[in-house]
Amino acid sequence: MKKVIRTLLATSILAISVQAAAETKVGFIYVGPKSDYGYNYAQDQGRLYMEEHMDDVETLYFENIPENADVQRVMERMVRSGVEVVFPTSYGYLDHALKVAEKYPDVHFAHSGGLKTSDNLMTYFAEIDQAMYLAGVAAGLTTGTNQLGFIAAHPIPQVLRNINAFTRGAQSVNPEVTTSVIWTSSWSDPTREAEAAEALISGGADVLTGHVDSPINYVQVAERRGVYSVGYHADASQFAPKGWLVGAIWNWGPMMIDIVNSAKDGSWKSEHLRGDLLTEAAKLSDFGSAVSEEDQQTVLDRQKAIMNEEFRVWAGPVFGQDGTVIVEEGDTMTLEETEKMDFLVQGVQGRLK
Amino acid sequence: MEYFATELLTLLFAALRSATPVLAVVLGEAMTQRSGVINLGVEGQMLLGAMTGFAVASVTGDPWLGVMAACFAGIALSMVHAILVLGCGANQIASGVAVLILGGGLSAYYGTPFVGDKIDTLGNLNHTFVSDIPLLGQFLGPITPTVLITLLAIPAISIFLFRTRTGLRWRSTGESQDITRNLGHNPVHYQLAAIAFGGLMSGFAGAALAVDYTANWVEGMTAGRGLVAVGLVIVARWNPWYALPAALLFGASEALNLKLQSWGVNISPYLLATLPYMIPLSVLMLSYRGLRASGGGMPAGLSVVFQSAR
Repeated sequence: MKKVIRTLLATSILAISVQAAAETKVGFIYVGPKSDYGYNYAQDQGRLYMEEHMDDVETLYFENIPENADVQRVMERMVRSGVEVVFPTSYGYLDHALKVAEKYPDVHFAHSGGLKTSDNLMTYFAEIDQAMYLAGVAAGLTTGTNQLGFIAAHPIPQVLRNINAFTRGAQSVNPEVTTSVIWTSSWSDPTREAEAAEALISGGADVLTGHVDSPINYVQVAERRGVYSVGYHADASQFAPKGWLVGAIWNWGPMMIDIVNSAKDGSWKSEHLRGDLLTEAAKLSDFGSAVSEEDQQTVLDRQKAIMNEEFRVWAGPVFGQDGTVIVEEGDTMTLEETEKMDFLVQGVQGRLK
Repeated sequence: MEYFATELLTLLFAALRSATPVLAVVLGEAMTQRSGVINLGVEGQMLLGAMTGFAVASVTGDPWLGVMAACFAGIALSMVHAILVLGCGANQIASGVAVLILGGGLSAYYGTPFVGDKIDTLGNLNHTFVSDIPLLGQFLGPITPTVLITLLAIPAISIFLFRTRTGLRWRSTGESQDITRNLGHNPVHYQLAAIAFGGLMSGFAGAALAVDYTANWVEGMTAGRGLVAVGLVIVARWNPWYALPAALLFGASEALNLKLQSWGVNISPYLLATLPYMIPLSVLMLSYRGLRASGGGMPAGLSVVFQSAR
């Protein structure tokens, strides 16, 4: 009897260790709570997608890790516990990740949104401004007052790209449109976001959108005040059954799986991997009932043109706020230029600094 | 002219909306400090109240139950402060900071499953008689119940504190515990009640944010407003009536920051973002000129807190 138990134990231990050997450990680090219903939530949805669609992967994550030396300690701890692929998902993690990556050349790092690489560190992101441009088209077709409102956290390139793309999209179908920007100086301050939405609406804006952690706050105020809303980061249509137009949302899962697979089979490339509408890493949500069939078709036609590269969001002419030409007609901004964007386009009301 | 009046009223009511949660905390904390206890943990109590209120509103479908649960959550967490300070004689500043951090952590942990839920709101005064009042109706209509309750709390607290015997003993406890003791009463009872009342008001303030105002729960959503309220208690000179202008000052500067941006005023947004802190600070400095000797109405018992912390 004893022998049987011992054999059973031995085989089960063997089974566990065999399984453990085949599993790849993947670690995620988030700057905020994964439950923010925004940026970190979207990254974590990617992690969950990976868990669901890959059998031989084990994931772990750390939330609320500040963008300082703390994140290096977290990464070191992950690596020592056997993590083979690390996803430092916040913009400010980049330099810390480069340091840790140099120390552990056998571990792979995939940083979200950065513009530097090393042998074992690549970056991934998605051109969500394409989706924001399309949402702008829907907004430009819908607005009656020709005033759009944008609630923005901080003037960093990613946010400026979205403000500008949204405005250019709206102007492409309605040249009269202007966008008012309110800065909240915080990624997450629900009270201030709600109050900013009120201020924009009483100032005449009838379509609201934004780039803060969670779209829920301004979408709910817009619905209560009877105006339209465009979501960002995650689908918030359930909060605005009447006024929801469309949203620009992330879909990281498939891209993350590709990255982990490339680390496993040796096809890893030290590159800037960028998804777009075509790869569906950034995409449009479903339309709300407030957008007519005809307008939906206009947006979808434009989406098609972007997908087969007949049309580029950042093709000139691009005018700055004061009317100066920033991109000449015939030129197009490069990926690097758009990811370092530091201006607002003509038709945007608001100050940068 | 009418445009100007409309914009001014919009700003005033926006200020009232922003000020309400802060006002509730100022009232509660002023009452706590009137008994000689300072509680820096109100921010944590607000957060736990906000999370509990939102969770209960989401599960039961009744936002009013959420508001009640938030009040109880605020009281429950304030009891941690009471046990540490009154029971164990712990340093009040340290205990308050512990409660602040505890409230932030507990609310983040237990609030996670409720993120992204949709709840019913408490409604507003639209479609009642007030929304038919000419000109003012459009501003009075969107007023929500938590604003009214908080405003009504001002005279209620004032009558209790200045017109009742219990209120007198409450105040005397804050000036000198010996007086209360010599009158044959236990000062600890009053301080316990005072901490619990502060808990109730901060829990309610959390509900005003999460259940009423934004109808949303986000980790850390109070964004420092509880701590601002502790500072505004000094601006309000521990007086419930002065709490209203003090909180409105904060609310108005908050509303002005956003309003000026929507008007397209050519001032740096970084500078505008400092308004909610700069304006109350300036008022504090100006209004306390000449008040230095009297301490601006600070309960004498409070000074002991700071001396023992040395």
